[in-house]
Parts: sequence; C-alpha cells; structure tokens
Amino acid sequence: MASRYDRAITVFSPDGHLFQVEYAQEAVKKGSTAVGIRGTDIVVLGVEKKSVAKLQDERTVRKICALDDHVCMAFAGLTADARVVINRARVECQSHKLTVEDPVTVEYITRFIATLKQKYTQSNGRRPFGISALIVGFDDDGIPRLYQTDPSGTYHAWKANAIGRSAKTVREFLEKNYTEDAMADDSEAIKLAIRALLEVAQSGGKNIELAIIRRNQPLKMFSAKEIELQVTEIEKEKEEAEKKKSKKTV
Amino acid sequence: MAATFFGEVVKAPCRAGTEEEEEEEEAERETPEDREVRRQLVRKREVRLLRRQTKTSLEVSLLEKYPCSKFIIAIGNNAVAFLSSFVMNSGIWEEVGCAKLWNEWCRTTDAVSLSPTEAFCVFYHLKSNPSVFLCQCSCYVAEDQQYQWLEKVFGSCPKKNMQVTILTCRHITDYKTSESTCSLPSPFLRALKTQNFKDPACCSLLEQPNIVHDLPAAVLSYCQVWRIPAILYLCYTDVMKLDPITVEAFKPVLSSRSLKCLVKNIPQSTEILKKLMTTNEIQSNIYT
Repeated sequence: MASRYDRAITVFSPDGHLFQVEYAQEAVKKGSTAVGIRGTDIVVLGVEKKSVAKLQDERTVRKICALDDHVCMAFAGLTADARVVINRARVECQSHKLTVEDPVTVEYITRFIATLKQKYTQSNGRRPFGISALIVGFDDDGIPRLYQTDPSGTYHAWKANAIGRSAKTVREFLEKNYTEDAMADDSEAIKLAIRALLEVAQSGGKNIELAIIRRNQPLKMFSAKEIELQVTEIEKEKEEAEKKKSKKTV
Repeated sequence: MAATFFGEVVKAPCRAGTEEEEEEEEAERETPEDREVRRQLVRKREVRLLRRQTKTSLEVSLLEKYPCSKFIIAIGNNAVAFLSSFVMNSGIWEEVGCAKLWNEWCRTTDAVSLSPTEAFCVFYHLKSNPSVFLCQCSCYVAEDQQYQWLEKVFGSCPKKNMQVTILTCRHITDYKTSESTCSLPSPFLRALKTQNFKDPACCSLLEQPNIVHDLPAAVLSYCQVWRIPAILYLCYTDVMKLDPITVEAFKPVLSSRSLKCLVKNIPQSTEILKKLMTTNEIQSNIYT
C-alpha cells in the first residue's frame, strides 16, 4: 500500500499518511543523539559527536551552531539540509534585528524554521528537510527556552528532550531524572545532559560536545578537558551511590 | 497504458490474456546469443562452497561432510558482530570453509576472483567440540541463490539430530503492528521456531501478520520441511548499520540452551564490541 503513495510529497495515502514526511523522520534517526535541557538559569545542549576521520578537520564537523548571540541550535539528520536551514535562520535573525531593531525571540526563530520545513511538505517536486532541531536560548525577558522542531514542521516547547539515534532511550532517562528543583542548579543541569548522553554514546565522554547559555551571557562551548572533568565527577558520584546501595543491602 | 502523476507512461497490467501469447513468442525468438548470456549469468551467480586450506570446492554439502549437533547462523552485520564479540571470544573456533557468491548487491564487480578477505559467508567449528558449527554471513544472498546456498550447506538429505539457531536483524518499519512505530521500544527481539523445536524461546514469538524474509526465511522453511528443530531470533531495530545497542539487544539469546555453554567472558565481549565499532565505522558525512 505504502509504495503507491510515497513517491510524491503532495499525495496523502487513503489512511491519511504523508509517507515522505514519515520517511524524513527516519532520516533523523540516522543522525547521532542530541539532548537539550532547560534549567532555571541555564540552557544546555549536548550532542554525541560523530567520530572524525583522521584527515578531516574537526572544526568543520559541528552539530551545535549559533543562530544569533542569544540563540543556538543542535540538529540531527541530513547534514546538508541542516546547513541550508541554519543559513536561512541566521539571515532571518539579522534581518529581524535590522527591521524591528530587536533580537529575535527563541519562539520566533523556531516558528520561522518550522514554517520553512512545513512549506517543503506541501510543495510540488520538493522533499521535506530531513532534520530535527533543538533550539535553545534566552529571551529579553530573561526566561530560558527550549524548542524542538521536526521534519513535518511542528514545533513544541520542552523542559528537556532528545533527538536522533536512541532518542527514545534518552527521553526515558530524562523523564526519570529531570526534576525542577535540581534544575535550579546550573551544574546539575549540565550533569544531567552528560549523563543522558553517556547512556547511549558509543565511546563514552570522548565523543560528547556540550554548549550552554546562561542568562545575559554568550554561548559557551565546553572544551574536551572540561567535559572530561564532568564525566569523571559523574562516574565518582555513580560509584558512591553504588557503595551506599550495597551498604544498605548488607 | 496509464499516465502517472509525473507524466510518465506505464504499462497497466492486462487481464485479457493476450500477454501470455506475446511471452511465448518472445521465448521462441531467443537467439543463441541470449542463451549464452543467460548461461554466463547463471555461472556468475553460482554459489561456491570452498574448503579453507585448499580453497577447492567441496564435493558434498558442508553438513554431509562434517557431523553437526549445533548450528548457529548469523545473518547481517549486527548479528555477525554479536557472535564475534559474545560467542567467538570464548573458545577456539577454526575456520572450516566459506561460501562465495556474487549478486547485484555485492560491492565488488569481479565475480571470478573474489579474494579470500572478501569471503562473505564463513563457516567455523569449535575446536574443543567440532560438532558445533557457526556461520557468519554478512552478504546478501539473492532469492535465486538461496536454494543453492541451502543445498551446498545443508545438503539434500540433512540429519535431524541437530539444532539450528539463526540470528538476524530487520528494520523496525517492517514490523506490522497496530501501535505507532514511535512508541515501540526499539530495538527488540522476536522469535520464530519450527514445529520440532521444543525448548522455550528467549523472547516473545513473532506476531502475525509479520513475516520473515530472505535467507533466514529460507533456512527456517528448510528446517520446517525436514523437521529439524530450529529457531530464528529476529531483532527489529531502527539502525541497520553496525550499532552497539542493536548488537546488545541479542543478549537474551545468550541464556538459550544452545548458546549458554558457549559463552564465558561477557565483560571482555563488550570490549571486543567497542573495538569492532571503531574499526568498522564507515566515514559517511551524509548524516550528522
């Protein structure tokens, strides 16, 4: 049944599916995991880096990109599609600033990206963008935001979410471990993002990239050393928790 | 004839019956050249079973030549990685032979001189118990080659006192269920067994209307017909390339009767799996 209705984006199947959009969501699952967490005073984006070939320049393989000084995004899916969407979003951020003399709100730029994606699900001869994005930032009112978009052009606000490969496992981990009280502490939010990625990362802390935005501060990318420190701390805490558990059972 | 959305013209199937007559005429019009091309194609697609040391073809089928009480077959790269890291690292496995075949899915274009390193289907037996066989099949065996593969491996009159375990993967979008695929706990295992397989399966059985495809289906059907106890463990996953989470989804199979005695070093296995991942990573920049 699917094969007769999945060749053109503008064709609905009899049971109401847009197969090309659903297939685009499968393409997203081929990208490595990205996780976003909204704390009280911080927003965190963590990604599982793809291993870089020996001769490849690591700086050009990026999953976390700044859209403006106060907004950044991480994506999962087709690299080239992401590049096009990011370029359009960056231009829109500057155009908005010039026209309205105000920086974009996180919701505005998310809506822009989502509308762009939706257009490609309703156009003749084009295919949808094969990416999902996690967009984070602080608005002028000082409130932290985290939004997620997907290839169909929908967008929603989240407290914490994951996209890409094994997103379901990471989301379940976040559901179990995210608490509003803990997120009041910036370092707890950072640790939660790293712990969530360690659940599914193939080579542990070496392949994790992290970015944070604090209120009224620019985007900060963590260096490999800083991430290693965090991972060591997390492992220590895990060991101590396990020792306590074994003492209790004894 | 019918026009599609894109304006291409396709031949609509005709129920008038005139098509059959056309086919017969075409067969009569076959030239010696066509026959020769057909013969060459058949030769190219032949499945050859070769002995390890001499690289000569086996005269009889593999299981007719060697006695076998247990046969574990891994089809697909994740199943192969699972056996390599969890089963083959405990005990010494000796290569017995390999099956060489060529079809359109093969990466190499040269069908005649496939090098030993490209042997896609390798057979091993356990040195301490030579009746335990293992097959690592990481190539695609086309429909027309599956019968040949079965004949060359199992033979035309197989012994019934062996147990067959097959491991393979399938993409989760092939799994038919009333739930949405987004809510399924991917990856997950399902089992399908022949009538003569009496042991309990290590996971739930495959629900209808799901079916098994390709070589695993051919082996299972063969075992059902010949009343050989066999079980297939099918892992539905959303990552078809080599992926540690998919490989680890096969772990419940380690508690089955056929594999329990073969597995010793599980912590070491995770290390071996990690190594396999790093060596096998194909550099592709399409997805990030």
